Amino acid sequence: MRILLIEDDAATADYVAGGLGEEGHVVDVARNGKDGLFLALNEPFDVIVTDRMLPGPDGLAILRALRASSITTPVLLLTALGEVDRRVEGLEAGADDYLAKPFAFSELRARIRALARRPAAQAEERELAVGDLRLDLLRRAAERGGRRVELLPTEFRLLEYMMRHPGAVLTRTMLLEKVWDFSFDPTTNVVDVHVSRLRRKLEAAGEAPMIRTVRGAGYVLGPAAPPGGAAPR
Amino acid sequence: MIRLRSFAPRVALAMAVVVLLTSLLGAGWGWLRAQAALRQQLDLVLAAEAEGLLRDYETFGLRGLSEVAEITSRRPGPLLVLLQAADGRPIAGRLPAAPTVLRGFATWRQGEGEVPLRALGAVLPGGANLIVAADLSSVDRAATALAWTPPVAGGVAALVALGLGFLLASRLERRLAGISGAARAVMAGDLARRLPESGRGDEFDRLAVTINAMLARIETLVAEVRQVTDDVAHDLRSPLSRLRQRLEAALARARDPAADEAALEGAIGELDGILATFAALLRIARAEAGAGREGFAPVDLSALVAAVAEAYAPVAEEAGRALEAEVAPGQVIEGSAPLLRQAVANLLDNSLAHGEGRIRVRLRPGAALEVEDEGPGIPAEERQRVVRRFYRLDRSRGTPGTGLGLSLVAAVAGLHGGALSLGEGPGGKGLRATLALTPGERPAILKPSS
Repeated sequence: MRILLIEDDAATADYVAGGLGEEGHVVDVARNGKDGLFLALNEPFDVIVTDRMLPGPDGLAILRALRASSITTPVLLLTALGEVDRRVEGLEAGADDYLAKPFAFSELRARIRALARRPAAQAEERELAVGDLRLDLLRRAAERGGRRVELLPTEFRLLEYMMRHPGAVLTRTMLLEKVWDFSFDPTTNVVDVHVSRLRRKLEAAGEAPMIRTVRGAGYVLGPAAPPGGAAPR
Repeated sequence: MIRLRSFAPRVALAMAVVVLLTSLLGAGWGWLRAQAALRQQLDLVLAAEAEGLLRDYETFGLRGLSEVAEITSRRPGPLLVLLQAADGRPIAGRLPAAPTVLRGFATWRQGEGEVPLRALGAVLPGGANLIVAADLSSVDRAATALAWTPPVAGGVAALVALGLGFLLASRLERRLAGISGAARAVMAGDLARRLPESGRGDEFDRLAVTINAMLARIETLVAEVRQVTDDVAHDLRSPLSRLRQRLEAALARARDPAADEAALEGAIGELDGILATFAALLRIARAEAGAGREGFAPVDLSALVAAVAEAYAPVAEEAGRALEAEVAPGQVIEGSAPLLRQAVANLLDNSLAHGEGRIRVRLRPGAALEVEDEGPGIPAEERQRVVRRFYRLDRSRGTPGTGLGLSLVAAVAGLHGGALSLGEGPGGKGLRATLALTPGERPAILKPSS
């Protein structure tokens, strides 16, 4: 993937660019808002990662300029600690995701992957399918290999989100944000409990595992290997 | 001591000047009026005198009149009489600078620098001219004497005003010095100092009462900030020292990839905990400062509470507990959905971590949320304190958590104009936390870190 990173702090920029480079991505780094906006407007990128506070036009201004120019490249906004309640502001300006600094690199990596997988314009979908798992979005029903799976509303939302990102590592924070709208980490393990319940429903005796736990990172939905090989579109 | 920069003497001086100026204007006007009135009086006197002389003329003829005129004009007094022939030749009496013939009233000066004369002339049937005159100096003297009254009174009034002004100034100065001294002491760090009150209940006392209330509020706020700073320093020092020890121990050990990895992962875990604490502290601080109120939007509280309860129900079940939700429909308030969601989640986290038995979530109409459990509850004397940052009951020190959960709930309540109150559950058992989200619904106000 070709990724544009707009970040004025040299240490963070090197850390992120180095990590993404090791993953095999091509990373262009802009150190201020002006250069970043210029690159974003003139070069094709798969994902743009921008700091919110920048010299020159800031992250939100860049975002608005991009959206005003009908550039729909997914944008991940980075922000300072404790400003999470400004998340809505960023999302309203057209950001696709929002991550507070300091973050674990695995979190950033997972979010960038999820963004890149997001279809540019979500068509009216009626059904999602991953392997032998099917989710009927209209009837709000799930079945695995012909076996009907009864889901509670929350479990349905969780499964829908996971099935939209098959094969990608989804962190607990991502699931909390996207499924429950929690912009904070609850003391109790809400995500683990819900995922393990969903897993129990999806994986009846004798069936292959559907949800894998990635230690220290999160969960992946999809057939064991190769990951992401059975994308539903 | 009393300078002109002081307010009261300035006012006194201005008043004295105004009194003096008005009394001088009054003097001028009075002089003119007095003079006019006295001259009118004089004209009457002249007319009466002339009439008397004319009667003499009718009785005794011209000769008799000239004798009377001669006698009258020799008499000491302001009155002068002249009887002159039609050609201006004097027959009897004396009048300097008289016109040849005078009919009616006239005023003239006897010469340069002399007092003006007022005269009344009459032409006799024989053609002779009788003039009765009086000099005006006496009239003007009387007018002047009368006109002196206002400036004298004004001068006295001005002096009194000045004196009173200076007296008032010195009293003002004394009271202001007390206020200013107290303010200086507060500035120098003596936050317990208060402005002096005279006890008279005047406007100075009222001002002092208001300022003293403000000082009391500032003292409380500073104490709270100090408390928070101490808490933060204390509660971040322990994890930071733990982290340091951990890293130091790992560094001192012989290099071993597996052990090093474990040590680094442990360190990152510790740091994540510290960062979470920081994030929570910043959130509380922002909420307490009222930040985010500009982003308020209508929030469907019923849906929000139901969703959070639904997220927590399986968690409670896994822990062998039950979570029941009873949500009044259609409760909408102006607020911040992310913060309200976290407040509700924190209350449930709190019940899960520290409570026991069934958890009841109840959203009442009018927007008050109650969370009850059947655990040991919180002793009445501790209820104020558990809302403080980092404050934890002795029995919960071993459980996970930052000690910031209820502080955030209280801060979010405050941000929305409501309050968090803690009480006993039904039957005096367990804990009931009530999050009132509309200003009218405050049972007992619990402020964060108070």
